[in-house]
Amino acid sequence: MFSASGRQIDRATIIFLTLTAVAFIVATYDVRSSGEGVADTMREGTQSLFTPLQSGVDFVTRPVVGFVDGIANIAGLRDDNQRLASRVRELEASASESESLREQVIQLEAINGLTVPGELATVTARIGGSGASTFDNIRFIDKGSEDGIVAGQAVVDEDGLVGWVDLVSAKASRIRLIIDPAVSVGVRISRTNETGIVTGHGDGPLRLEMFRANEGVNVGDRVVTVGSRFPPGIAVGTIEASAKAEVGFVLRTGVNPAVRLSQLDYVKVIVGWSPIDAQLQDEDATPQTTVVPETTSTTEGSG
Amino acid sequence: MSRSRVALAVVVVVAAIVIQTTVFAQGRIQPLGFAPALVTLVIVALSVYLEPEYLLLVGFTAGILVDLMGSSTLGLWAMTLTAVAYIAGRLKQTVVDRPLMLIFVVFGATVFGQFLYVLLATLFGHDTISEPRVLGNVVMPAVWNVLLAVPVFWILSKIFNRTTSRLAV
Repeated sequence: MFSASGRQIDRATIIFLTLTAVAFIVATYDVRSSGEGVADTMREGTQSLFTPLQSGVDFVTRPVVGFVDGIANIAGLRDDNQRLASRVRELEASASESESLREQVIQLEAINGLTVPGELATVTARIGGSGASTFDNIRFIDKGSEDGIVAGQAVVDEDGLVGWVDLVSAKASRIRLIIDPAVSVGVRISRTNETGIVTGHGDGPLRLEMFRANEGVNVGDRVVTVGSRFPPGIAVGTIEASAKAEVGFVLRTGVNPAVRLSQLDYVKVIVGWSPIDAQLQDEDATPQTTVVPETTSTTEGSG
Repeated sequence: MSRSRVALAVVVVVAAIVIQTTVFAQGRIQPLGFAPALVTLVIVALSVYLEPEYLLLVGFTAGILVDLMGSSTLGLWAMTLTAVAYIAGRLKQTVVDRPLMLIFVVFGATVFGQFLYVLLATLFGHDTISEPRVLGNVVMPAVWNVLLAVPVFWILSKIFNRTTSRLAV
């Protein structure tokens, strides 16, 4: 095309350099606007366009994909079966104990006059797809603003906290999973009642930081949400490695997520909670409030 | 001719993104816990049917779509897939002349794309490079892409050859 330092630069190279520069400018703009503005609108629009395509392909391929996945995992199914059978026996043994504890909690609440977020409204949604690259820690669900979902709401499944809604269109939403490095959640250790912050770390264990811990944490300690952005008492995970609290140092350790993110199918979006609820609860309740909220579905998921 | 091929290429890219986000989504088909990088593979395969200049535009468009369907900074995959398209365009003749080189080109381009994205994402503050499975996320998609290369190249040859012959008539 033209000569630079005696060497010809062809048209493809010029286009490549131009497009790279455009992409760099777009990336810089997106970073400066913190993912909002025009970029956010474009994301919502693209998501709305792709959702019907994803739903169609998902509907057609789900049986085949399930079959292939089943064959691929057939060796692990026997182990899973044995593990689940033993787990059922454990749960049956503890069920009667839990019932009596539940009755005690109800009595204590009545005595202390505590206000707890008991029946939170939820919307059941089906996972429709994931991000387009192998590095994305997001999922798309088939429910959106038409179903009462707004950005910032917590997403749970039967095991615990899945993530939070970070982008909403009319008929679909995007969930940012708790393993995403951009997600931080205020948590409490059930055993010690001390609080900290859990941050995503890709596919590895979550990172727990406790700034004013007096007691250490042990392997297997249950970690639940503290109740600010999200409702209190939702299971986040269990401590991966024991750590001691030392004066002047931040306690740092890993947390294994409670949910199995590779096996998500249906989730619930907690639409009946906002950070304002947390403020009201802080005013009404004492710090000893440790009740896990029971959720109730208001919308059924679609197949 | 070129315009229709570019339009067809964009349709193929959209199909690849839909398949990547559904069939190869986490919890679906992910052998050993890693998915192929289907969009990268498609860009490499399209190098056989598109002029390098058009391939760059398709790569950039694919990257923007992947960015919009993902959670990272807008433009990072656009930069990455434009670079992959540039390299694939340069190696086009190698693939056409010696089909066995396809394995190395697909593997190399995928590793390059995944690694370049990790670097760019880290530069833009995503801390991707410190994630525990980053090495697997760079190498394993390239392995699956090599295995998928033959069916993907075959499907694209059917699509593009049929379209070209129809247009010729």
